[in-house]
Amino acid sequence: MNLIALKMLLGDFTKYAGLLFGIAFTSFLVTFAVSYFGGMMTRSFALIAENPRADVWVMDPAVVAVDSVINLPAADLSRVRSVEGVQSAVPLAVAQADARFPNGRFQSFQVIGVDDATLIGVPPMSGGATAAVLRAPDAVIVDAGGTSGKLETPLLKADQWPRGRPHLDVPMRLLIAGDELLVNDTRVQVAGQSEALPRFPPRPILFTTYSTAEHILLPERRRLTFVLVTTVPGVDAHTLAARIEEATDLRARASDDFKTDTVKWMLANSEDVGDAVTMLSIAMLVGFGVTGVMMFMFTNENLKYYAVLNAMGATTRSLLIMICSQAALCALLGTGLGLGLCVLAGQVFVNYGFPFRMMWFAPVVGGTAVLLVSIGAAAFSGRSVLKMQPASFLAGR
Amino acid sequence: MSGNTMKSFIEATKNQTAVRCHGVTKTYGQGKAAVQALRGVDLEIRTGELLMLVGPSGCGKTTLISVLAGLLQRDGGDCSVLDHDYKQMSFNETTRFRGRNIGFVFQTFDLIPALTAAENVATPLLINGVKWPAALEKAGAVLKVVGFDDRMIHSLPTDLSGGQQQRVAVARAMVHDPRMIVCDEPTSALDSESGHMVMSLMRQFALGKDRVLVVVTHDTRIFEFADRIARMEDGRITRIENPPSRGNVPLNNP
Repeated sequence: MNLIALKMLLGDFTKYAGLLFGIAFTSFLVTFAVSYFGGMMTRSFALIAENPRADVWVMDPAVVAVDSVINLPAADLSRVRSVEGVQSAVPLAVAQADARFPNGRFQSFQVIGVDDATLIGVPPMSGGATAAVLRAPDAVIVDAGGTSGKLETPLLKADQWPRGRPHLDVPMRLLIAGDELLVNDTRVQVAGQSEALPRFPPRPILFTTYSTAEHILLPERRRLTFVLVTTVPGVDAHTLAARIEEATDLRARASDDFKTDTVKWMLANSEDVGDAVTMLSIAMLVGFGVTGVMMFMFTNENLKYYAVLNAMGATTRSLLIMICSQAALCALLGTGLGLGLCVLAGQVFVNYGFPFRMMWFAPVVGGTAVLLVSIGAAAFSGRSVLKMQPASFLAGR
Repeated sequence: MSGNTMKSFIEATKNQTAVRCHGVTKTYGQGKAAVQALRGVDLEIRTGELLMLVGPSGCGKTTLISVLAGLLQRDGGDCSVLDHDYKQMSFNETTRFRGRNIGFVFQTFDLIPALTAAENVATPLLINGVKWPAALEKAGAVLKVVGFDDRMIHSLPTDLSGGQQQRVAVARAMVHDPRMIVCDEPTSALDSESGHMVMSLMRQFALGKDRVLVVVTHDTRIFEFADRIARMEDGRITRIENPPSRGNVPLNNP
């Protein structure tokens, strides 16, 4: 009977194509939205991800995410270093600052100050340079941090450091080594560009040494944001984190746990979560609209044949199973098409630098959405069969 | 089975009553909108008999065959079909009973357009749990009985003429050897020649010794194929007649 159902479905190509489109659209949109959101969440813990040498992150007890920070007293670095199982502990300063570009434009940057001695925390550099360029006085490394067009400076010398009004509508080029910026009235020298992981929310970044950060940032009593700890070989990061918490009363999290904390914080605090949920809801509504209506039309047009089958002895249960088989075939093929399309679109988006990352749960969420839409569509059209009179096809009725 | 035994079997089954209805009533709707379609139908149909139900539109013919086939539940009266009373059966039991014991031929053929002739004919077998290959094989054999060749067996209904489609419908009605075949205006969409061919086929192949055929029709051209003709008016059977001369039409009803 199921084979009959599938032949009936495939025999009406227009509606079959419509059903496939509806389900493929749902699958694509839901998977894409989840993958895009996954990409954004992944970028939210980019600072943690690009510091693989830090097994444990130590911070103020009130800090729960890498983007929501309160600084520590400088002495806490020594307290952490004194805990048994700590092989090394280096400071990391995270702050915000406005930098003035040579044409007079202002741009907000995240300033990351890394340990002067080890330079742990500087991402890979572009153009074959090394982090050692930061050892020059007031040197900074710039990074787009997932933005575009924010690291441009005037092409012509005549437009740089002008007197009077800023020169905004002038020919521009990307910052290169040797360019200068003003951070809190302190002139810093661009020593190169890095290839840091893109951030979410996107923002340009200035990497510099901890001491330069202290020098160029507005004075604060506390500058130390994180202590990056490497464990002694053989010591578990979670165990050490617990030990540090016990010994110092600070918050210490193993790297993976801190990533999870950050994602949870983003989910709870980011308005983008609401946008993503709205997008998912719209995708499912549109998918259900298209699929449900198509399925209903298909079943309704074939109601006469379902009545004939019922007259010939097919039970209501068999007929509902037939409708479910049709929905299942469309769901299976539609999901495959949608996922395939999502992978292709995702590749294009990744190439253009958008935060797309298809993790294992994205196809699962997409498949679940398709399942819900298909069950809804089948139930919607199955009502007609339940209400059908088996004698309705007879000529005199 | 020897010749004498067969003869006595035929005689015995000929006189069995397949359908026995007394005072059957059926009303559609309620209150002022109520329409009484059957107003006390008394009817007996014997096995091996082809009974035609005739009468003006709205007289209750289709309602009566719907009640006989278990598609509609009667409101009142008694009715036994093939020794079963639908009122004593659940909805699903009635559906399964129809699947095993009743075949249908419809005015507009109602073949599923996406299925080939053989697949359409195989449908009742599939409903009764026969596996696909066996069902198709039997469907092909029955289609050959009604005059289809190998090419036509695999044709879609849209590639067949009206007469050919109704032959497929006849094959579908008898493929699972039902004991009763119900036909609703089987020839009204066909020309005279095709109508005759379809009725000949039904008499030859669908009407067996232990089967009964009930045909609702307006088509006086096919009256000659009937064993008896029941005339209905206003929801009642008013007269039962013998058919006009059957001419040279071969009948298998002894």
